[in-house]
Amino acid sequence: MRKVAVIGIGETPFKPRHPEMTYFELGYEAVKLAVRDAGISRDDIQSVVYGIYNELFQRQFIPEHFLGDYIGMLGRPGTRVANGGATGGYALRAGYMEIASGLSDVAMVLGVEKCLDCFDYNTGHATPEVLKAISYSGDMTWETPLGLIPATTYANVVRAHMERYGGPTEEQMAKVSVKNHKHAIGNPIAQSPMELTVEEVLASRMIVYPFKMLDCCQYSEGAAAMILASEEKARELGKNPLVWITGVGAANDGAFVGKGSMETIGHIMSDHLAARQAYKMAGITNPLKELDVAEIHDAFTGQEIMTYEELMFCERGQGGRLIDEGVVTMEGELPTCTSGGLIGCGHAVGGTAVMQGNEVVRQLRGTSHNPVKNARRGLMHSTGGALSAYGVVTIFERDEA
Amino acid sequence: MFEEDKYFEFRDIITMNYRYSYGGQSHFFRELKRNKTIMGAKCPKCGVLRCPPRSGCSTCYEDTVPVEMGERGEVVVCVQAWFASSTYVGNIPYFIGYVLLDGADSAIHQNIVVRDEAPSVDAVKKGTRVKAVFKAEREGKVTDFFFVPESDLNDELLKTPKLEESAVRKYWETLG
Repeated sequence: MRKVAVIGIGETPFKPRHPEMTYFELGYEAVKLAVRDAGISRDDIQSVVYGIYNELFQRQFIPEHFLGDYIGMLGRPGTRVANGGATGGYALRAGYMEIASGLSDVAMVLGVEKCLDCFDYNTGHATPEVLKAISYSGDMTWETPLGLIPATTYANVVRAHMERYGGPTEEQMAKVSVKNHKHAIGNPIAQSPMELTVEEVLASRMIVYPFKMLDCCQYSEGAAAMILASEEKARELGKNPLVWITGVGAANDGAFVGKGSMETIGHIMSDHLAARQAYKMAGITNPLKELDVAEIHDAFTGQEIMTYEELMFCERGQGGRLIDEGVVTMEGELPTCTSGGLIGCGHAVGGTAVMQGNEVVRQLRGTSHNPVKNARRGLMHSTGGALSAYGVVTIFERDEA
Repeated sequence: MFEEDKYFEFRDIITMNYRYSYGGQSHFFRELKRNKTIMGAKCPKCGVLRCPPRSGCSTCYEDTVPVEMGERGEVVVCVQAWFASSTYVGNIPYFIGYVLLDGADSAIHQNIVVRDEAPSVDAVKKGTRVKAVFKAEREGKVTDFFFVPESDLNDELLKTPKLEESAVRKYWETLG
């Protein structure tokens, strides 16, 4: 396989609503920024991977068709990827394959979602209708009619972990909320930057036990683009530092009601298997020591803590210790969600993982609003599907051209 | 000028009618609707008993054999929800989790209904023994039944096969 470089990144602000833009206009804004960042022209892009999760959000089936036209990408391949919350992670993997395989020398990954045009006229709020659109991603026969929403699926995974290992505790989860909201401060695209206390998180409204309101990410509207290139093309552009994708891993876990195996209840095997693949490819044997920064798909605080374990930053059952000891804070050994993550930035589903990948690239370039000193290697994690069925892990590394 | 005054919005809705076939799972829903019976499926090769059933074994690629399940089982994991989608908002709060019916190798997703109107989050948890309770008017949907903790039923109800919701509600009313 050929080496794959990141040559351009761009994203719109993630906001509760972008009434001034349609989904294809959001995508356009992200592409414009990424193309300028790459220093290339539109014609240099040979293929596009579109990450768009939910047709109901966009009020449009095959939305990539209209998006591709609007961003001027006719006359070349355009592939849509839709993998629930992991859509962006899987889209990036597909973009990686475009370059690594030799099919393209320059490929763009564009993630977009406009979640909050959905609106529940009965309650006068968007979120219940947003959740309705998402609930159709549960099994429509066996799960959706029972009141499944994302919070119930993730809460079941986290509670199973709590019953198995005695943690994470609600206080540890609250510390993750404090961390990620704080990390979002200064991030120009973030939806929910704020200083909070553990007590405020614990006192916020219960959503699904053990998650309170401030343990949960907020749905968002936004787009993010990343442009990938072959080594030859990247060196021709004279990028310094050069950022490479050196590891990709992905795995899907059981669906169709209930985990595939009773032994894995309380674990997120998709993430674990994805991490093993990515680490093997990147030559990582001790991720806590060998990674400098990690963007984790923190849809819910307790799930971020479980992900520390599945990504092998620590033993299973020890994830809560990493937040207690500050290991995953800006001052710690492996800061996580320096962008603010989903909790701090919002969750524009198809765009989320691309946005988090862009943050890892910024860390390696030294341009993040929350810089990790001399960061050379970072991880981006993406998950989605009922019961965290999809897991994707991508490793980025920097070297000097 | 406010943004909402600047951008034109309109009200829209997407609807779709179906005549959805349950295909190889038809037996489960027919038995549930007609006979208040929960069906599983066993692989003749590896012996795995799945409930919900699969007409083919995902491991062996063998056709499975329908098996009548019991009505009692154990909670694998369960959570209480205070927030819901617009279609389910009237049911808040509700318990939703996974139940392993006795003898089964896979868990079924289901609602667990408890007697206490203001239950603690631990009213249903790992290991809670439960029994299936059926609605009187069944449509052939997963919502035709739910589970109730065995501790919320008396001996007579626990021994009653194909227990209907009305009997449980009546018993709970007598307890005040």
